[in-house]
Amino acid sequence: MLMPLDMLRAGEWAEVEEVHGLPAWVGRLAELGIRPGCRFQVVRPGSPCLLNVSGCKLCLRGEDGAQILVRPVPA
Amino acid sequence: MPPLANTMQNPTLTVALVGNPNAGKSTLFNALSGLRQRVGNYPGVTVEMKKGRFTADGVEVDLIDLPGTYSLAARSPDEMVAVDLLLGRRAEEPKPAVVVSVVDATNLDRHLYLTSQLLDLGAPVVVAVNMIDAANAQGLTLDYARLAEKLGVPVVPVQANNGTGIDALTKAIRAAAEGGAAPRGVAFPPAFDEAANELRAALGSDLPPVLLRRLLIDVGGYVEQWQTEVHGPKLTDALAAARAKLAAAGHAVPGVEARARFAWVRGAVAVAVARPAVKPVTWTDRIDAVLTHRFWGTLVFLVVMFLMFQSIFLWAKPLMEEISGALDWCGKKVEGAMDGGPLRALLVDGVIKGVGGVQVFLPQIMILFGFVAVLEDCGYMARAAFLMDRVMSKCGLSGKSFIPMLSSVACAIPGVMATRVIENRRDRLATILVAPLMSCSARLPVYVLLIGAFVAKPGGSAWLPGLVLFGMYMIGFTVAPLVALVLKKTLLRGAPPVFVMELPAYRRPKASAVARRMIGAGWAFTLRAGTIILAAMVLVWALLYFPASHPDGGDTYPQRIEKAEDAAKEKEDRLKELKEKDEKSKEKPEDGAPPPPQLTEDEAKELEALEGVAGLPDMLNGEWKRQSALGRAGLAMEPVFRPLGWDWKIGVAAMASFPAREVIVGTFGLLYDVGEVDTKAFSDPKKADAEAKAKAAGLTKAVQDDWKKDPIRGKYGAPVALSIMVFFALCCQCAATLAVIKRETQSWAWPAFTFAYMTALAYVGALATFQIGKLIVG
Repeated sequence: MLMPLDMLRAGEWAEVEEVHGLPAWVGRLAELGIRPGCRFQVVRPGSPCLLNVSGCKLCLRGEDGAQILVRPVPA
Repeated sequence: MPPLANTMQNPTLTVALVGNPNAGKSTLFNALSGLRQRVGNYPGVTVEMKKGRFTADGVEVDLIDLPGTYSLAARSPDEMVAVDLLLGRRAEEPKPAVVVSVVDATNLDRHLYLTSQLLDLGAPVVVAVNMIDAANAQGLTLDYARLAEKLGVPVVPVQANNGTGIDALTKAIRAAAEGGAAPRGVAFPPAFDEAANELRAALGSDLPPVLLRRLLIDVGGYVEQWQTEVHGPKLTDALAAARAKLAAAGHAVPGVEARARFAWVRGAVAVAVARPAVKPVTWTDRIDAVLTHRFWGTLVFLVVMFLMFQSIFLWAKPLMEEISGALDWCGKKVEGAMDGGPLRALLVDGVIKGVGGVQVFLPQIMILFGFVAVLEDCGYMARAAFLMDRVMSKCGLSGKSFIPMLSSVACAIPGVMATRVIENRRDRLATILVAPLMSCSARLPVYVLLIGAFVAKPGGSAWLPGLVLFGMYMIGFTVAPLVALVLKKTLLRGAPPVFVMELPAYRRPKASAVARRMIGAGWAFTLRAGTIILAAMVLVWALLYFPASHPDGGDTYPQRIEKAEDAAKEKEDRLKELKEKDEKSKEKPEDGAPPPPQLTEDEAKELEALEGVAGLPDMLNGEWKRQSALGRAGLAMEPVFRPLGWDWKIGVAAMASFPAREVIVGTFGLLYDVGEVDTKAFSDPKKADAEAKAKAAGLTKAVQDDWKKDPIRGKYGAPVALSIMVFFALCCQCAATLAVIKRETQSWAWPAFTFAYMTALAYVGALATFQIGKLIVG
């Protein structure tokens, strides 16, 4: 099941499927490790939300997070 | 060009230091270059780069510390400077002989992405794997030899904050410079290279291969904008065709780069890094559970902010008093040692007061920067920005703008300087432009003077003065976010800012790094902004000093004032004696006691004459300022001030306060014939001496009396006072702030814009205040 990233709740794990939006934004996210296939955990949901991407904490805003489609996975 | 023989004797290597933000790059830079540092500015951009020097195996090395970046995909001129510098395309620096790529040992997956881009530059690369202690603590095992083999470049483990591995790194840099071989970059799919070659042929371009790659990959990036200017529509078409072809072949940009590079990174990390089976919960995670919590985190943040401001006030105040005390002493010494005349006046009133006006800000700036450095180095700043982002995003800014805005409540100058933590150029500019709207401490004396004179009436509400003061502060708090919102929607409009921020692991800040930041901020302010502020101070002094000749000819005003002062001093004792007698004569005698002796008619006349002599210097001073260049300009501009309810005196005082707002109090004193008034008597009455307090009370009364005589200001005293206060709440009468904006934006356009929009806002605000107040009172 695909869902936008901002729908995830605290503590949930997910895998990135698609990243939409302006190319510059997609590129910046890829540099930071958010690209199709990567796994992350939601530390704090909401806007801005806090993600743990392979041991590194990233924060992004809800409206931007909605552009990222993810597939929830078991921890 | 230096002679060749000379260069041969002292060969210098240029080395560039590149890494992600939070890779510990600055710490490594400090460890390598020690105290031999300076700051390099580049025309047309707001970035500055630190430059240092050190000796590697007997060779002098020029080290350039590039701003932290996640990739070489430049999105703005600021980011392009770093790329151009690495390619040797900037006239200021030679092409780096070696590029040092700083990576975080605990986060190689992410940081080696940038390293892979550096391999394309055609210069030897040395990888410095920093923070090996943290990696060990997390149970990571790194095999540096295998990593070097996989990356194809030398790899040196370092722990920059205690100097481990620095020797090995300098040796590796030297060896790489001599070996000279450029590494092989990451292979892209053949279809990509084909498309790049076709693009080159279509344009007949001589771009370096790495920039051609960036042109193809970075949709809407800086290289594309720049090349569109060079080649016009030909480029747009060729580029679109090349990108379409790549997409059809399954290698759409920008995804193709991330895939190719991360595949390469994964291959290298897989063989070189062994991870423990169970990922331990780190200290950072535990602390973050509290500090990023919406309630507890916000509470901690508020406490931290409160402590920070409390300390700025507590610690800066005595230092500021020391500085102004020392300068007062200096002024008195010069005054005593020199003969009167324009030169002495220039030194005492222009230069020494000007220097004082600059240096009193130093303690605030350095203390605030100490805090900012500690908060940033330990990693807390990113958490604060995370917490504040929700509020700040409502006015189009991000959480990083919060601390600069809040700092501006103390003083806009450190606030503007603190915007350096904001990487987004538009956000940073918007924050710089609205920071001076926050009600700074220099506005306080103006508010206190006017509230005391016209709002606080005996018998009136005890709450009113406080309420008005609160209202003045609220003007800043409400107008600043509104202006920021308008700016972000108009002048600084652009693609919606991509807000994604990394929260680095917590680290212990290093005392030497904090001290370095404090001293750096102090120097930058003193040298670059200080000269401009001093010039503005001297200019306004001159406009109020000249012409100094009296219309009757003969002695000039300053000479007449000096003579009048001497005359007043001679008669001082007699005046005191007569005054005492006069006061006693008015006392009611106690029952049975004889009535007190009355002044004789001659004595009464003498007293009147002596009072005139004592008041003469202040009167002459007022007359002189009124006919000075600035006074005349104010008189000519009276029609402009009239709708605000002001007369020309208020107008002149407002104009004369251009170097600094608090100057208005002193200028009022001169114009209302009470002589120089110490600002401190209004801002901090406890510290002022009795004489200063008497002068301050005299000024309040003089302004009241003068306004009473006037039909408008007599009737509408409170609206006029409010109109002046609103004007000062919104205007940018502060040369220091403008000078700092010039310094931070590297352009005169932004301070000019700030001054213009704030003055317009202030005028409209004052106009509305007076006109509405007039309706209410009338």
